Amino acid sequence: MLALSLRQVDLAVDDLRTGIGSWRLCNFLAWQDIKQRYRRSTLGPLWMTLTFGVQIFTMGFLSAYLFAAELSKALPYVCSGMIVWSLITQTVNDGASLFVASTRFLTQVKCPLSVFLLQMLWRNVIIAAHNATVYVIVAIIFVVIPAPSIILWPLGLLLVLACLAWIALVAAIISARYRDIQNLISSVFMILFWLTPLMYFPEQLGRKRFIADYNPLTHMIALVRGPLLGATPTLNDWLVVLAIAIIGWIGTFLFFARFRSRVVYWL
Amino acid sequence: MLSIVGKNIYVEFPIYDLKMRSLKHTLGLGPLARGINRLAARKLNVGGQIGTGHAGRIVIKALDGVSFEILEGDRVGLLGHNGSGKTTLLRTLAGIYEPVEGVIRTSGRVFPLFDLQLGMDIDATGLENIWMRGKLLGLTTKQIKDALDDISEFTELGDYLQMPIRTYSTGMALRLAFAISTAITPEILVLDEMIGAGDAAFLARADARLKTFLARTGILVIASHSLPILRQWCNKGMLLQAGKIVAFGPIEEVIKRYEGIVGGTG
Repeated sequence: MLALSLRQVDLAVDDLRTGIGSWRLCNFLAWQDIKQRYRRSTLGPLWMTLTFGVQIFTMGFLSAYLFAAELSKALPYVCSGMIVWSLITQTVNDGASLFVASTRFLTQVKCPLSVFLLQMLWRNVIIAAHNATVYVIVAIIFVVIPAPSIILWPLGLLLVLACLAWIALVAAIISARYRDIQNLISSVFMILFWLTPLMYFPEQLGRKRFIADYNPLTHMIALVRGPLLGATPTLNDWLVVLAIAIIGWIGTFLFFARFRSRVVYWL
Repeated sequence: MLSIVGKNIYVEFPIYDLKMRSLKHTLGLGPLARGINRLAARKLNVGGQIGTGHAGRIVIKALDGVSFEILEGDRVGLLGHNGSGKTTLLRTLAGIYEPVEGVIRTSGRVFPLFDLQLGMDIDATGLENIWMRGKLLGLTTKQIKDALDDISEFTELGDYLQMPIRTYSTGMALRLAFAISTAITPEILVLDEMIGAGDAAFLARADARLKTFLARTGILVIASHSLPILRQWCNKGMLLQAGKIVAFGPIEEVIKRYEGIVGGTG
């Protein structure tokens, strides 16, 4: 059951290598997805930005009022946090339907599974970039100066994406076999939303601060959100996310190597 | 030298929906499966065998230990009942299903062409669809650019290429899909039923294009129920029955065997 042959490892490496090698195709398909979603609409992808903007302003005002924070602090905080949060939930949820939704392709052409993963990941990065324009506006209005640690920001983002990639891949494989996973994941993330400091600051949890501290998503968000808001992510944040990325990918790779060829059979 | 060599290939599909563990215990599915098997072997020969797979669960044995050697220049026609394993074999040749057991060695790039319109978007223009489909077929940007004129000339779609294919008639959309798919030069082509396109006036031109397309293909493997089509395009036949190859040789001989099985009605 769990035996792994050298050949399976080879084929898994090959799948990932070919997938990364086809980045042009992944890029093309990701944009095609976005175009397809907004075809025949006048505003097009601007809809993403608008919807997100309205959501952020509502949440920002609410958060400032509920938690007695200044709007100039609450709004940029909620906005930057929610950009990362949307990226995380969207990617993991899309991951859970990744192979099932691509059944038609997977059963008709030979294509590395990693192509689907990269396409989905890149699509969500593009969407996050659209949402990020809202933050730029907010940051200008409230004159938010990034911290010097902003130079490490791309590295933090990359680490978070690496984490999301393996989580999505595992979700995609398991959900091809057990179709309940998709619903399970979306439920879990609904709950996690309240347990992650997005609308409130971790300090506001008081004695229950451990809720935020033991939540890995807090650290992922801190890596990307912190520098933008002028805060420097702690060493702890870096270590937690780095550990999740590395340990996660080792486990995921073995899992992927073992079950890669079975995915098509399950569809 | 292009070739596909298969040795002792098994492809089994687990049936999860049956809740086999509890069912097997309460209903005795083992005897039931054997019963169905016996029935299938005796009379129908439809569908793969139901049995116990390698991991001990109930599976459909779609390919049950097949071996073959297909070489460059071979035009192989797959024959057999519904569910005899033709499509599974085609997908295994294409590398979509990796066998549970056995080895398949392919030298040359395999192009499976099962659904001409795969990846086409009805809200995108004809031109955009050429790009989309071309990229999915693995063509480079340059190859697609080179093929553009040829495709637009062949389809006679003209200005329609700038329109969403939602506005096309079924025939026009099929024509476009056909033109793009036949713009490639496949080393090994795998087809499930013959591809065809459009109205009668168009058919003659489509036929000519198909002929050159198939002629520049190194190896062709096609599954079809139409004997005239197999006679026209194939030099070899492979007869499948319940996931096993029962005959592989010159097309006429295999067709004779096939007619013997189905009672000459094929």
